[in-house]
Amino acid sequence: MSQGSKPLIQNTKCDCGHQNPTGTVLCEACGKPLTEEAEAQPILEMRYDGVARRSQKENPGIIDRVWNFFSSVKVAIYLILLTLIGSSLGTIFPQESTFLNIDPSVYYKEEYGQLGHIYYLLGLSHTYTSWWFVLLLVMIGASLVICSLDRVLPLYKALSRQRIPKHMSFLTRQKVIYQGQVEEDGADWVERVKPIIKKKGYRVRTDGGTLLAEKQRFSRWGPYVLHIGLIIFLLAVLGRNLPGLHMDEHMAFPQDEPVHIKNTSYYLLNDGFKVEFYTEDDMPEEFKGKNKVLPKEFQTQAILYMCEANCDDLGKKPELVEVTRHNIEVNHPLNYKGLKAYQFDYDLTPILRSVSPVLVDSKSGKEYGKITLSIDDPQREYQAGEYTLTLTQSFTDFGLGDNGKPVNLSPNPNAPAFLFLIKGPELPKEGIQYFYFPKQIDKERFNQEAINAQLAGGEALVQLDVLSMDDVDFSESTTYLNIRVDKAMPFIWIGCFIGMVGLVMGFYFTHRRIWLRIDNGTLTLGAHTNKNWFGLRKEVSAILKQMNIEVDEKSLENNRGTKDESN
Amino acid sequence: MGKSKKSVQIVILLAIILVGVYAVATVVFGSDEVPKVGQEAADFELLGMDGSVHTMSEYEGKARVINFWGTYCPPCVREMPALQAQWEKWSSQGVEIIGINVGENKMTVENFVAQTGVKFPILMDPKRDAVASFGVGPMPTTFFVTASGKIDHIRIGELDLNTLDKQIEQLVNAK
Repeated sequence: MSQGSKPLIQNTKCDCGHQNPTGTVLCEACGKPLTEEAEAQPILEMRYDGVARRSQKENPGIIDRVWNFFSSVKVAIYLILLTLIGSSLGTIFPQESTFLNIDPSVYYKEEYGQLGHIYYLLGLSHTYTSWWFVLLLVMIGASLVICSLDRVLPLYKALSRQRIPKHMSFLTRQKVIYQGQVEEDGADWVERVKPIIKKKGYRVRTDGGTLLAEKQRFSRWGPYVLHIGLIIFLLAVLGRNLPGLHMDEHMAFPQDEPVHIKNTSYYLLNDGFKVEFYTEDDMPEEFKGKNKVLPKEFQTQAILYMCEANCDDLGKKPELVEVTRHNIEVNHPLNYKGLKAYQFDYDLTPILRSVSPVLVDSKSGKEYGKITLSIDDPQREYQAGEYTLTLTQSFTDFGLGDNGKPVNLSPNPNAPAFLFLIKGPELPKEGIQYFYFPKQIDKERFNQEAINAQLAGGEALVQLDVLSMDDVDFSESTTYLNIRVDKAMPFIWIGCFIGMVGLVMGFYFTHRRIWLRIDNGTLTLGAHTNKNWFGLRKEVSAILKQMNIEVDEKSLENNRGTKDESN
Repeated sequence: MGKSKKSVQIVILLAIILVGVYAVATVVFGSDEVPKVGQEAADFELLGMDGSVHTMSEYEGKARVINFWGTYCPPCVREMPALQAQWEKWSSQGVEIIGINVGENKMTVENFVAQTGVKFPILMDPKRDAVASFGVGPMPTTFFVTASGKIDHIRIGELDLNTLDKQIEQLVNAK
């Protein structure tokens, strides 16, 4: 009656009088197949218990259409496939983010030729931070949310409002069925079978001569719990781009100098760097005799400081308080409240920091006094005994410019040089000019003595000299650390954990249901599960056996619906 | 019931759109991206030659010419007089010319400024923080920033007096 020529609108009312929403496949109340398609199936399709999904509507508007697009599993699969293809494209050549300092517009062309340039132009050199990749992730997220909402609410309703009596055609078209005669009254038989089924771990409800037994219903929520886990995971991945949540920087730390870690209030000090090299004997075979220097172990003794005061005041020295110290080795990073410092590289070139030369009489060698000269930040005035030294020019990387005048070649302290005006006893009243190169190699290269002789118009009467290595302060090495902050990581783990719980729920537990009814001495039993039919068959046969009904397990399987028609 | 379903759908779709727009926007205009022409100029906080700290926000509402330089860079040294001349011409009309010295110590910068007679404000970026946030590659690099803080033009390489004048005029008119 109700399944007429206009199935779209009119098939919603079932024989049992229940009004079903559009798109319902099996009557929500009695389980009778409603659509012609379901009617034609020898075994019922039990997906979502045959209830209508939320997106199934009579006249979809624009919002419904968007909703329907994302609620489609097919669309979700395409989105996942596209994302997989996209992320594999990103692995063809290294991503820009794997390099410290390159210009990608030339690098890819130089390194990988025209193909590399096309790769760069297509934006694949930063696949994972490209708009389309993130958009795909967002769309997968949308699909996860909408798919879940679209199914989980109707399914929840269907499962929590299950009615015990089911339509005959619902029972006989399950995959596991049994039909046979019982001698006694239906209600009595049901009462007798109840404890037996309960013993198998089922929750049993009865209604006269009908019964519904159910176990492990929670496994039906497994996929949706997995979805929640994946959504948290995706949000965490997307959230990593928020400022302050993620940092991945490679920084240089010269020894004994606290270096500020950008965007944090931390300073890290390289308090000593140790490196041990392989001797020729214990070098791995393939490197032997190749004159290679292989580091065996290297370690940064790091001290992490927190800035307490004067942090943002560039004019003042920040006040630092030690928070932790750790010897950083490869695979043993420093880890403090989510800030991690990984050993990455090192440089053993010493960097001169300061020298403490003594002003001496060029002839007699008499010492007048010692000054301390900082290479990086020299003072203007120095006092050595009765002599005053005024620094008039300083160079970090001394060289001669096009016009023959001394210039700075770079801001790096490669060849520091200082020009002093020295005044004092026995010197001309206006003083003498004196050029000083702290590094011995520069002294020779630029011929310090000749310059000074020229400046003084003869031999310089006084000179600066470093008497011992104790008077030279240099940073022995620089360590390179990879500083990482990833505050989104805990959420990624939480997402993974929830997802795993969902997988376990869905995979290791099975929702099993057994319905039965007795009509005039005829027992009709139907059972359904989402997997492990074999186990369900076995369980049903064991129950029946205890009720003195001997059935072969295999015969319980619905033989494509042909068996029940004859009865 | 049907109505509430619809509003729930709308709320969820809107939330997804918001998250999506935000996620895409943060990667496209990500913080490690170097500012380009038309975008907001980066912020800085640097110690000036005058001994006090200067920030970008301090110059808000003024057209700015931000020049990155070093004494070790000959074209930077050559263009200094042009910048100085433009500062003399434009500073009364609300144009700030700011020189950011990259990586050198105070003494070197002081000597240089004294020698060349540069009067416009010079800031020091010894740790190259501003260099990183402005994405400066080769030097000299000059940023022309409008009064509203947008980058109007980026000049990499030596400036000359004439084009600099036109460039500043354009910047002032871009208000």
